[in-house]
Order: sequence, then C-alpha cells, then structure tokens
Amino acid sequence: MEYPRQITVIQATIVIFSSVIGVGVLALPHIVVTMGDTGSPFVTFLGMCIAFIGLAFLTLLGMRFPNDSIVHYSEKLIGKWLASIGSITIISFYAILTALTSREFGEVVITAVLRETPLEVTVIVMLLIASLASRNGITVFTYIHHFYFPFILFPALLIVVLSLKNANILYLQPIFGNTQENMLQGTLTVAALFQGYFIFTLVIPHMRRPERAMIASIFGTLLSGGLYILIVIASLSVFGPEELKVLLWPTLELAKMTSLPGQILERLDAAFLAIWVTAVFTTLLSTYTLTIHLLSKLFRLRDHKMLSFFLLPLVFVLAMLPKNILHMYEVIEIVGRLGLLITVVYPLLLFVIALVRKKRGDVNVKKNKEQTS
Amino acid sequence: MSKKIRSKPLKVVCIFIIVLPFLSGCWDRIEIEERATVLAIGIDKTEIEEEEEEMVTHLKDDSAKEKYGDYKVTVQIAVPGRLPLGPGTGMGGGGDERPVWILESKGHTMSDAITNLQQEISSRIFLGHLRIIVVSEEVAREGLREIGDYLRRNSEVRRAAWLIVSKEDASKYVKAQPELERVAAIYLLATMDQAVRLGKLPNNFIGTFWSTLSSKGQDPYLPYVELKKEDNIKISGLAYFKNDQMVGATTPIQIGHFMGIMQMNPGGYKVLVTVPDVNETVVFESVQRKSKLRIDIKDGIPHARVQVYIEGDITESSNDYKITTTKVIEQLEDVLPKDANVRYSKLVKETQEAGSDIFGFGEYVRAKHPTYWNTQVKTRERWNELYKEMPVDINVTYNFRRIGMKAR
Repeated sequence: MEYPRQITVIQATIVIFSSVIGVGVLALPHIVVTMGDTGSPFVTFLGMCIAFIGLAFLTLLGMRFPNDSIVHYSEKLIGKWLASIGSITIISFYAILTALTSREFGEVVITAVLRETPLEVTVIVMLLIASLASRNGITVFTYIHHFYFPFILFPALLIVVLSLKNANILYLQPIFGNTQENMLQGTLTVAALFQGYFIFTLVIPHMRRPERAMIASIFGTLLSGGLYILIVIASLSVFGPEELKVLLWPTLELAKMTSLPGQILERLDAAFLAIWVTAVFTTLLSTYTLTIHLLSKLFRLRDHKMLSFFLLPLVFVLAMLPKNILHMYEVIEIVGRLGLLITVVYPLLLFVIALVRKKRGDVNVKKNKEQTS
Repeated sequence: MSKKIRSKPLKVVCIFIIVLPFLSGCWDRIEIEERATVLAIGIDKTEIEEEEEEMVTHLKDDSAKEKYGDYKVTVQIAVPGRLPLGPGTGMGGGGDERPVWILESKGHTMSDAITNLQQEISSRIFLGHLRIIVVSEEVAREGLREIGDYLRRNSEVRRAAWLIVSKEDASKYVKAQPELERVAAIYLLATMDQAVRLGKLPNNFIGTFWSTLSSKGQDPYLPYVELKKEDNIKISGLAYFKNDQMVGATTPIQIGHFMGIMQMNPGGYKVLVTVPDVNETVVFESVQRKSKLRIDIKDGIPHARVQVYIEGDITESSNDYKITTTKVIEQLEDVLPKDANVRYSKLVKETQEAGSDIFGFGEYVRAKHPTYWNTQVKTRERWNELYKEMPVDINVTYNFRRIGMKAR
C-alpha cells in the first residue's frame, strides 16, 4: 500500500460531492425540464435516488472488501475473465465520460466566453491539467478536492439565493408537472449526471474507517443532489418551464441576470464561470483518475503515473469526435443512460453475487488501522 | 541512456516545452479602444430600396431576404476616452465633443443590420454593455420574435437590459440629447430605473419579457414611452402584447392598476378622489399594494376573483375639505373602492378585448388546476380565447394611514 489509510468520512463526502458536481450544472435545468416540465425538481430528486442506489451498492461492496477496488474484488466474485470484461467496460466508459466532459466544457467556453480561442486548445488545456493532477496518489487527490470544495459550494449557493429575488412560485406548480410522459427518461438522464460517484471505489481502500463509508455516500449524495435540486428550483422559478426549454445553459443565464446587491457586480456570470471551471476540473480529475487507476490495477502495474499521459491523446481524440454541439448533447445522453448499466446495475449484480457466494474481503483493515494510529 | 531521459530536470523541461505554446497570449484579447461598445440600440421599420441593398450577407436578388421585414437599426457607440466619468461638466475631452457616436444601418434582419454596420466601422461591435433597446411601436405591432432571436443567441447581451416600446421612431431616442446626462443611453436607463424605484413601472427587463413570451399562460408587456419637447421621456403606459405582437397600450395610471393587481411594490401612483356629499377633492397616494388571486373553475370556465388591498396616504385636499376625524377617513375608504373597482375592471376588460393576458391568470390556472389545463387549454392560443370570455371580479380595499404634516 502506497499510503497509510488517512481519508476521513468528511473528506470522502467531499470527494463524492465535487466528483458529481461538474459540467452538468449548466445544462441540467434545460435537460430536466424538457422531460419533467414543472415537475423537474421532483424528477431531479428521483434521479438522485436512482444514483444513490448505485452508490449504496458500490459502498456496500467496498465495505465488504475494504482493501480492494472494484477491479480486484470483481475478480474474486465472478472470475477473472468476466471481471476483466466488466472492468474494461468501466474503464472505457470513464475514458469516454472524461472526453465528453472536456468537450462540453470547451463548447461552453467557446460559445460564451472565449469566442476566438480554438476549441482544441481549451479542451487540451483542461485535459492536461487533469492528467497532471491525476499523477498523484489517492490521498493527495482527496486533498485537492477538499481544497476546492468551499469554492464550489458557497458561491453556487449564493447565486441560487440571490436569484430567488426574481422567482415566481407559480412556475414550480404543479409539482409533478403538467405531463408525466417523459418522467422516467428524465429520471434516468439526471441519474446519469451523478456518475462521477464511482470514484468512491478508489477512495474506500484509503479510508481510515471503511465501515463508515456509507455515511459518506449518504451525505455525498444528499449534498450534491441537494445542490442540483436547488439549482433546478432556482432556474425553474425564475425562468418558467417554457423559457427553460429555449435556454441552452439556463444556469449561466441565471448568473447573468443575478446581481450582487448594492451595484457591486451587475452580472455574476463571470464569477460563476470561474467557479464552474473549478467544478469541471474536479469532475475531470475524478473521472480521469478513475480511468487510469483502474487501468493500472487491471494490469497489476505498480505505478499509474505512466498511464496518465499515455491515455491523454486517446481521450482528446474521443473528445473531438462529436460533430457539433447538438450532436454532442445527443451522444452525452445516450452514453449517460447506457452508463447507468455500469454504474448502477453492475455493482448491484456484484453485491448480490457476493451475498450468494458469501465472499468477504480479508480483515486486514484492523491491522492496518493499528499501524497508522 | 534511457535512464538519463527519465531524469527529473529533463522532465520538467519537457513539460515547459509542451506548455509554452499555450502561454503565448490570449486569442480573445481586445483592447478597449478596439471595441465598439454599443450602449443603446433603436430599431425601426423601414423599406430597403433596390439601390440601397448592402449586399453584405446576401446578393441583390437572393430570395432568402424576402421572408423578413426590413429594419433600420440606430446604435449609440461609446467613444473611448470621451465618456464623462462622474457628474462633472466640461471635463476631459472638451465640452463640445459628443461622448457617443451615433450610427445607422439597415438590414432585412437584426443580424443583417448589425453585420452591415460592422462592415462600415473598424472596431468589433461589442454588445456586453448594451443597456437599453428601443423598438418603435410599428416594429412591436409586427412582432418581436425575430429581433429577440438575434439578441438571445448573442451571449454578450444582458438579460437585465431594458426593452422599451416607443411611440415615435426609435432612432429619435438614440439620437436624443437630454440636459441631465451627456450620454442619452444613460439618461434613458436612469429614467427607467428611477421609475421602478418610484413605483411607476414594474421591474420588467428584457429577460422577464422573454420568459413571459415563452410561457403559455401569460402574455408579455413592456414599458411604452413618449418623447417630449426637451428630449425628456414620458412613461406613458404599458404596451401589452398578444403572443409577440403588441396589441395595445394602457394609460399611465393604469400601470398603477396593473401593479395593484400584480401586487408590485412600492406603490407610486396618486389618484384624485371626489367626495360626493361635499363635492370636494382629495389626492390619495398609494404606498403599499397587496393582492390575492383566486381562480375557480365553474361550469368549465375559469372564474377569477382578485382582492386588492391598497395602503396609502393623503397628500392633498381641496381648500375647504377638512380631514379631522377617523370618520372622514372611513367615509373616504368607502368612496374610493367604488371608483377603483370600475377602473380596475376597465383595464382587465381592455386586455380581454385584445386577448392579452398580461396578468398571468393562465399561469395560475396551469399551476393550480393542472387537470383542467391539460384537458381544456394546453396551448397559448386556446388560453387567449378562454381569457376573452373569462369573468374577472375585482374588489379593491383602501386603507388610509397618514395625512402628512398638516393636522387638518
């Protein structure tokens, strides 16, 4: 083991929070409202619940095998060949997710902020930073998240609170929406936004007390889901369902029309974008770290650092594949929904198999803990 | 050999070489002198003659242009270095030089007109500081969706800018030279902002206009202004829309009625009231407004009941009329609502005849009676029809609080 176990429950919560909160923040209200109408906050809540099911099973598995990540214990559970197929699927999924996240980031930047800067540059700079940061071990990785956490949460809350000045309660009713036809789709799409939580499988083996991992996953989901719901409520109550369907990035528009009282800042979009870049960075860092760490574990490498630059060109090329912004969002939606099979169904299956086969991880945790404390 | 390449200093150098191209500068750097900062835009209707065709976005006989009407766009561009900072007069740059540059261009669409303009000036047009957009009544009556589309796609335009409808040509407002401010756009902006603060106008910027335009159960409204002799601007009502087309305008006092029904504060309008028995007049100023809306579905038709509470002071009474006891006040509180009920209903009637639900009753129905909405209404067009027939009862209650510094 490269580092002693020293991640606390609070840090684990923060890792989940900032891995989940990412690019999705901008488009979320628009995406949900096209499917959930005024019921969007409720749909977001349902999506959060589905995501939590996946995370809960992942955590239960992690608590059962407190020294292993999903790559290793899946081998013990379903055999080497099946497990490696599963792991490769996970790894490639997160590589694609990293690519799409960086592409979406690039698209927003090129439309809203730096219109002359080539898309490739914004994407590759972001990927480069993420891959540099991902060379660290999990403990440092956690500290990076921990450091950025207040810069993401509090400004986001501030924008939500300030924007409520223009809110109209009628826009939130009826709370289940005027139509319920697409609610299920909406729920799945929202759940797909939470997929960053899979990083937890890497964090648990480094937690000081893995038996308390469930607390972290509950609070992590509540915190990130809560922020998502708040953002949906704020933009829905300010813009109304029909207007949200017209806006591509409602949260950005929300920041644009929100002003700090006392004429200090007349529009908060610049400030908001700064926060959002941080949020995107932490998400990218998580998905990229997950990709290369799992890959190095799969090949039983001693070190993951070599992979961090090795995969970079591949991810970059993947990011450049979508033809235009609309195509990109279609791809994101499809990939996200399919991803639920990996992030929700796969852990569930593994856990059921673990129960049936009565397999458990080694109980070396206690020894480890005694060493560190 | 291979060991040497892996040494740490060399690695650092490699990283630096990779990073170097990204540090060379910013693609989007624009010096402030190089951008044409547009402060205000005026949009008018016009006819483009054959020989006037700019041929920037299209050729003379392209058929693409025929789908659109022709616009004349007048812009006010800030001249760098000449904008007065602060209220002082005769400072920096000399008194005679105008701090703004006013340009005109024509086009078949907004984008066409702006592109034509860009073809004629050196600096890049920058709309990030655009604070006020004036459209002439003619344009508003034809529909604002086309103009809106351009402004909404552009990421620089603020949602908090003002969109106002002018009685005269919009270009006059952009060209105006009011005494109070050296920059006409800032004067226009101040007029609007102050009116909101005085309770004379709902805080209705371009963002709310777009939101209401999109929503199915509410029609948008905009401030309606008139230019007076000294280049000062009168807020002469609200222009109300059916979908994106202006269908009518209210009188100034009706803005007060509208704000009463919508519960918008602070109150700012004053009314003249005649006390019947003595035939004297008092002036009442509203301070605080409150309202309750209830819509029930009766026999398949929505039925609205609005209860408005107005609180305010007496600011004047004609010579002989003495306000000495609470009894007199009570008498006034009795008289005023009778008048008000008629006036308020008149406003609602007018909008109903035009089929323009600026109060958002439809949104209320959609929110509180979803089953009715889903089965009977569903679309904006249907709601506009229903709104015309919908009975609306308005009951206004007044409360007098203060009578000023005079004891009688």
